Amino acid sequence: MAAASGNIADLPRLGLGLGLRNLHFEEILSRRPAVDWFEAISENFMDSGGRPRAVIRAIAERYPLALHGVSLSIGSTDPLDREYLARLKRLADEVRPAWISDHLCWTGVCGLNSHDLLPMPLTEESLAHVAARVRQVQDYLERPLILENPSSYVRFVQSTMEEPEFLRRLAGDTGCGLLLDVNNVFVSCFNAGADPVAYLAAFPCDRVVQMHLAGHQHHGSHIIDTHDRPVRPEVWELFRLAWARTGGASTLLEWDGDIPDFTECHAELRKAESYMDGRFDPAQAVPPERVGAGGVSNPVGFLVPRVMESAVLEQP
Amino acid sequence: MSDGPATLASAQQWMLDALIFPGRVAREAIEGQLASFSGLSGAEGLAIYQRGYFLRIASCMREQFPALCHALGEPLFNDFVAEYIREYPPASHTLYELGRRFPAFLDESRPDRDQPPEARELWIDFMVDLARFERQMFAMFDAPGHEGKPFAEPETPDARLHLQPAFALGAYRFPVAAYYHAVRQKQPATLPPARASFAALVRTEYTTRTILLGEPDYLFLKAMADGGGVEDGIELVARHLMVAPDEVRRSWISAGGTRQRWIDCGFFIAGEQHEPPEIGKREPGSEL
Repeated sequence: MAAASGNIADLPRLGLGLGLRNLHFEEILSRRPAVDWFEAISENFMDSGGRPRAVIRAIAERYPLALHGVSLSIGSTDPLDREYLARLKRLADEVRPAWISDHLCWTGVCGLNSHDLLPMPLTEESLAHVAARVRQVQDYLERPLILENPSSYVRFVQSTMEEPEFLRRLAGDTGCGLLLDVNNVFVSCFNAGADPVAYLAAFPCDRVVQMHLAGHQHHGSHIIDTHDRPVRPEVWELFRLAWARTGGASTLLEWDGDIPDFTECHAELRKAESYMDGRFDPAQAVPPERVGAGGVSNPVGFLVPRVMESAVLEQP
Repeated sequence: MSDGPATLASAQQWMLDALIFPGRVAREAIEGQLASFSGLSGAEGLAIYQRGYFLRIASCMREQFPALCHALGEPLFNDFVAEYIREYPPASHTLYELGRRFPAFLDESRPDRDQPPEARELWIDFMVDLARFERQMFAMFDAPGHEGKPFAEPETPDARLHLQPAFALGAYRFPVAAYYHAVRQKQPATLPPARASFAALVRTEYTTRTILLGEPDYLFLKAMADGGGVEDGIELVARHLMVAPDEVRRSWISAGGTRQRWIDCGFFIAGEQHEPPEIGKREPGSEL
């Protein structure tokens, strides 16, 4: 079934992009670095009456842009938040993103929002529920929705299918596109004791519009999706495979904790170029020893502006 | 949705409760909901979400209340945040709303709240007022503003002066604005003695400025913030100072006086003409 007012096959291949972060606004606006595209966190801009809204308008005039949300809560059993969707649509009308994405997750119920990307029980009931909501969102936004595989640390006992199958059926039922987060594949598979290569083999790569890359922290028994460091070599190796399987889907680097300067982020992104060809080497996709401690999954602190830094005091 | 304990709705309700009230989750309930992996049990996996829920919100709250965090120290600040989100779990889609109820929470949860004001702990008053100021500062950053549009000019008649949208006023029991900016400048900042203080926050060109005010100036602007015009402000200040309105008016329009300073600061836009106040109706100041 085709998504409302659009087909994912018509969406552009944007190349290598970076997550738009407050810290880099000045650099991007003043130097206009040669980045193929940017991805903006929708919630950081959709309510803005201040500088962020002006910045995203300026960046949208100069670069291709995608909107990536963290609070759509497509899997929640709460009603869809119509006010949220209205704000998202207003922002989209203003900045004309190449697409709008969010996550296969729920963020809260009973009107609450945990601000985390919480895992779904992967059941027939969930699939029917999410598919119905994806259709509603697509009808409202008048475009296909792109959904990302989240990083996860648990599996519900009631789950009856694997995530690639769930997403394959969801995309087939609704016409939605997929955002394949390669780091999340690695993280979730490691935590579940599963094989990331088998995950990718089962994943509907023909539905992939975009990929994500990010760093993580390895804690020995598990991996946390911290986005606070360079991409691990084993994830790059998995990216090599994903790049080939998706036919070179638009690729974006997320760096959300301990964010370095723009130049370092850009250099990390450019590493992707060296993984776009060559033969996948499974031996390179094996996790190393423990490399981190104390990280938080899906960090959101970067979404909060450092207001104090720009505050000015005028004495009478 | 179907009924029964294994439905999506009940699984989500269970997991959210487990995040908000981690101490209430029975191990048997975890095993009933979450599978164990070879290297990570269901309880250990859930603990990652429970820990992340608090740390994620605490980090955002520290960004929104940096001076209060400085004043309390991070461990105590985090303790207050933990209590706050148990009492008021986040509900908005935006993280910017996380701290909206925090100042009121600090006030209503103070241990001496049933004491008469004179018997209460002063340092708690300071923390509450500092939180109020920081919330105002944070909200001002992204509030609807007037950038890109014309502001009032010296020639704008008084009757058409309105406060611009990105403007806020505060009256406090301590000099919290000065404390905040001392923290910003990394200057020594200790609990100051109690002293009434007043401040205006105004944003122009996406920069928020704090302007310290005397009480008469605060009252003048408060009259305008409440929907009045310049003449309402003049009348109120005259009553407060027990002087004739003309005396206040002279100060208002004098060269380099209040009017000029506030226009220069971007307090005003030119809007619809205000109706003159009921008492002491006068022509706009610019015509005096």
